[in-house]
Amino acid sequence: MKPTKNNLNIYSLTFRLPIIIWQLLFFVGPVLFMVAMSFFLVKNYRMTEAFEFINWTKMFSKNYFWDSYWFTIIIAGTSTLLTMLIAFPASFTLAFKVSDNIRRWAIFMLIIPFFTSYLVRTFSWYVILAEKGVINAFFSYLDLGPFKMLNTHIGTLVGYMTLTLPLVIILQTVTMANIDRNLIEAAYNLGCKPKSIIQRVIIPLSKTGFIIAAVFCFILSFGDFVAPFYLGGSQEPTLPILILDTTKSGQQWPRAAVVAIVMMITLFSIAFIGIMTAYSKSFKK
Amino acid sequence: MSYKLVTFKNVCKNFEKIPAVKDINFDIGKGEFLAIMGPSGCGKTTTLRMLAGLEIPSSGEIRFNNRLMNNVKPHERDTPLVWQSLALFPFLNVQENVEFGLKMRGLSPKIRNKKSLEWLEKLEVKELAKRDISTLSGGQKQRVALARSLVMEPEILLLDEPLSALDAHLVIRMQAVLTQLQKELDITFVYVTHSQSEAFAMADRVIIMNVGEVSQIGTPKDIYRSPTNRFVAEFVGRNNILSGKVYDIKSNIAYIKTNAGCFNFQLDKNKPIQKGDKINYIISADLMNFSSVKPQKSNIINCRLISEEYVGSIVTLFLESTDGTEFKIQITERELSKFNIQNGNKYWLSWSEKNVHVLIEE
Repeated sequence: MKPTKNNLNIYSLTFRLPIIIWQLLFFVGPVLFMVAMSFFLVKNYRMTEAFEFINWTKMFSKNYFWDSYWFTIIIAGTSTLLTMLIAFPASFTLAFKVSDNIRRWAIFMLIIPFFTSYLVRTFSWYVILAEKGVINAFFSYLDLGPFKMLNTHIGTLVGYMTLTLPLVIILQTVTMANIDRNLIEAAYNLGCKPKSIIQRVIIPLSKTGFIIAAVFCFILSFGDFVAPFYLGGSQEPTLPILILDTTKSGQQWPRAAVVAIVMMITLFSIAFIGIMTAYSKSFKK
Repeated sequence: MSYKLVTFKNVCKNFEKIPAVKDINFDIGKGEFLAIMGPSGCGKTTTLRMLAGLEIPSSGEIRFNNRLMNNVKPHERDTPLVWQSLALFPFLNVQENVEFGLKMRGLSPKIRNKKSLEWLEKLEVKELAKRDISTLSGGQKQRVALARSLVMEPEILLLDEPLSALDAHLVIRMQAVLTQLQKELDITFVYVTHSQSEAFAMADRVIIMNVGEVSQIGTPKDIYRSPTNRFVAEFVGRNNILSGKVYDIKSNIAYIKTNAGCFNFQLDKNKPIQKGDKINYIISADLMNFSSVKPQKSNIINCRLISEEYVGSIVTLFLESTDGTEFKIQITERELSKFNIQNGNKYWLSWSEKNVHVLIEE
């Protein structure tokens, strides 16, 4: 069937309209309202409609806002880097060293964690990371510790990885499993040593998939509230915690909106740059 | 054969106990163009991959220059392979692809640049040096893949159906390029293909493989005119194969009875044949004569024309005798135009007793 020039015929509209309405109603609408809200004022704990830049100037002039901003970027970035590194050996094994059947089962197993609420999985780390938890109990046998892991950055990172690690392993595995084996053999055939194959062939060929996995990982960590709040102890607040704090203290919804908009712009830029690099042609080290 | 560069001795390869290659023996001479041909699944690609070290023989010996190679790793060999899929690296440009092997050898960027451009020029694709692989046409990719292998200046080049993805006219051109390169460089080529025309057009010798075994080794002419077994006779060329029994021998002519009728053939001193022998009676399609009136000869048969197939100036006619045996005959289009051809009409086929090739049935 030829695509009709007139895209707005009734047939195609029946299928497109619901999703368009949904997006307008529940995504574009709220975002626009949030942007508008960031210019509102709060008087006597009540929001009033206005068009003032005071929320923006106030937030941008506060050191705690910028501290929180950079801290969130750094910890989400660290989490992304660590997750990508920890996932790689597992994905590499699943992609190249096991049978198709085992790979299928492994991917199935990696989907299972998503059956349970992320909040529940995060709380289960309490038992493991706590001062009298599983890990410290083990160390006390060796006359070491106790180590403080809960309410530290380690806790936050563990929480982030609970969320992202299975997803990143799946994305990396699928990417590498789809590599044309002839290309790897061709590299060997031209004298590439087995230890250089990862750097010379596998990583360049997996570039797109790996960048997409990293972007996903960063977005999920950057916007996550649960891990830094429950496992990180929120002494050093990330932006999602800052949003919560701002709304609590004096009903400052407009200022929370400012934080949210800054977060969205940051994520949009990172996703955009990521996808652009993922699909760019040249790969130079 | 001047000098034996490669020897295969009793080589077997099993994949999880399923044999892919069964006890093959052959030599490859230095500077030889050897084609390995056979239907898919015959073990030809496995044989080639064992040469490259990508498969390890289950038993037997493969020697290069008399050195045992069985367990030498692919990256420690100098056996570049041109892949059926070409396997060019999509993340590198044309020149970087050609330089890849040199880089792995640890050559300096200056030498790499010089050599890669030199080979791209030899293959007439120098102007593409900075292009992206995805922007090349099939024929251009083919040349880049060849340059990437040849830049290694190996003693032996392995080719795995490299022309199978190209258009017919490009295949002919690349065949010329390959044969010319091979003669010029004096490199041994091992060329795996399922295409008879490619193998016969280029190779000095051809190995025919079937279900993991070597069926016949010989020059293209040997294989075309004197197949040593029924498989080769059926696989190669358009042969008419009749089964029958020798019922009489007079001086040097033997007489045979088949389902299609009684025919005769000239005896070959090297092939003793006796009365009562069961034989395959083979007449190549291009050695048959075609006429509309009954010829006054001994080996003739009356057939109904079923269909015709034109490939360039050569026409293959498919006919059927009264007992249902199929016959094929190849004649030039020019000769055929002398006849008023019509499907369903009856014509006469004939052949000389000297042009018959005979195989004794085991």
